Amino acid sequence: MNLRFIDWIWHVRGSVPLAPGQSEDEAFERLDPLFRQGGTTHDRAEATLTFTKKDQAAQDKMSVFDGGVLAIENRGEARVLRYHLTSRALLFCFLAPLLFLAFAQLTVVINKYQKPDSPASESAKEKAKKDEVRPLNPIDKALGAPAPEKPDKDKKKDKDKDKSSPTPAYVFAALFAALYVIGRVLEDRLVRNLFRKRLHEAV
Amino acid sequence: MDGIRVGKRIIGSEAPVTIGWENIGRVEGGPVKRFIFTWFQPVALFALIAFWYYAPNSIAKASTAIGIGIAFKALLLGLEWVNPRYDSWRLTWKEMVTDLFYVGLGYTVLRIVDGYIGSDAIVHAIQHSFDWDKFAWFTGLPLLVQAFLISFIFDFGQYWMHRGMHNWYPLWLPHSVHHYITQFNINKGAVGNPVELFLIGLGIGGLFDFLPRAALLAGAISLGVGVYMHINVRFNTPRWWRFVFNTTEHHSVHHSQDFEASRSNFAGIYIFIDRIFGTCVDGEAEVLGLEGGRRMAIREQMTYPFTEGWRSLKERFGRSAPAQPVAAE
Repeated sequence: MNLRFIDWIWHVRGSVPLAPGQSEDEAFERLDPLFRQGGTTHDRAEATLTFTKKDQAAQDKMSVFDGGVLAIENRGEARVLRYHLTSRALLFCFLAPLLFLAFAQLTVVINKYQKPDSPASESAKEKAKKDEVRPLNPIDKALGAPAPEKPDKDKKKDKDKDKSSPTPAYVFAALFAALYVIGRVLEDRLVRNLFRKRLHEAV
Repeated sequence: MDGIRVGKRIIGSEAPVTIGWENIGRVEGGPVKRFIFTWFQPVALFALIAFWYYAPNSIAKASTAIGIGIAFKALLLGLEWVNPRYDSWRLTWKEMVTDLFYVGLGYTVLRIVDGYIGSDAIVHAIQHSFDWDKFAWFTGLPLLVQAFLISFIFDFGQYWMHRGMHNWYPLWLPHSVHHYITQFNINKGAVGNPVELFLIGLGIGGLFDFLPRAALLAGAISLGVGVYMHINVRFNTPRWWRFVFNTTEHHSVHHSQDFEASRSNFAGIYIFIDRIFGTCVDGEAEVLGLEGGRRMAIREQMTYPFTEGWRSLKERFGRSAPAQPVAAE
């Protein structure tokens, strides 16, 4: 299978036009501070810059990316900076819903095979203790706190409470799917704006 | 860096730490903003306590507590946006995804594991082996006293567990991962190696028999105070609050890159436990983390205690490398 059909998931590609008359050296010089961050190594060969990042700082403007190539190309009259960046964070976020769906399935399977506690195992004393209504302290009565209820006789409720619900796992799967879409769009835009700002605005 | 003498220790000789309440930052802005960020914490805590004290039995349930916890954290996430303590702690998309991954683990797989081997399971087993009826008097105490005792006993245990983690290498290994965080955000408390998240949850509070409402009130105190441990919001915390309760300021000192500073403020809720045992340092820090602020990726966070532990074992007990032959002259 050609990876290009799916690699948009964690690869971000794009281009930014250079300012009129801007040379390769000048462009890379303006971008240089971006690659002088902790954990970043970069290598420039003529019109191409390759970089990798490891344990990059949280506030590194390109922290979401782990590596990439930036190249300056001639497009007719105009010159453009083309970039191709890779992000493990995007891939991780794309796959995270699958992990949480797996957790949900695990919960369902455990609930299915878990042997329910037999009510017989509860001693008579414990049962009596459970059924007894414990009174509130007089201070709380005076302040108007609601009195404790008589414990529910319906044992089914208790049994259900012991089982874990797969719902949180489904919620997190959905949350990460939404976060992926947001991140894929947001980080694409942020990095394009970052390059554009660096190349065009007065440093 | 010279550092500042606090008791017998020099704090801030390795990384910047601000010592003393008079030196920490204040909320900047108009009178309304200052009013809100001065009173938010006490008002929210008292509102939570009042809610759980008076809520009818039909809504005083654990599911309501979970819902309130999520809504409260969402609100605080908004406050991080409006009034950050430090710009260098701004939440990014990547940080948010990483933090939420750990929150997600806590709500799913860790919950399942904890049900079998966690604190609740252990307490359940102990309660079944002994006659614990002598603790029944506990339920006759006023609700708020029960709630305080539940949270205090848990926090007291957590204080010593946490202090143990900073003093005994096998416990430090799983805890160290949490100390690699380089900034505070609302969900950063969840970030850490899962082994540690299990250890920190161990407590003896569950041994006592208490009214369900008291447990919910204890949860409200824990939320209303503990939620600010890892948060990027600037508050003008009242003096009485920071004397009794743990604050972002205290906990930022604990997470400082300065080694001595990190060996202080171990309590989760009640900072007066640190005051009693002489480990409290009043102040704040912006530069957080270990190894000069190296940000650890999730994969390493999962494996670090084991790989690092193995490396240390090999260093200690492994066969020493044969000495290099010295060339004859």
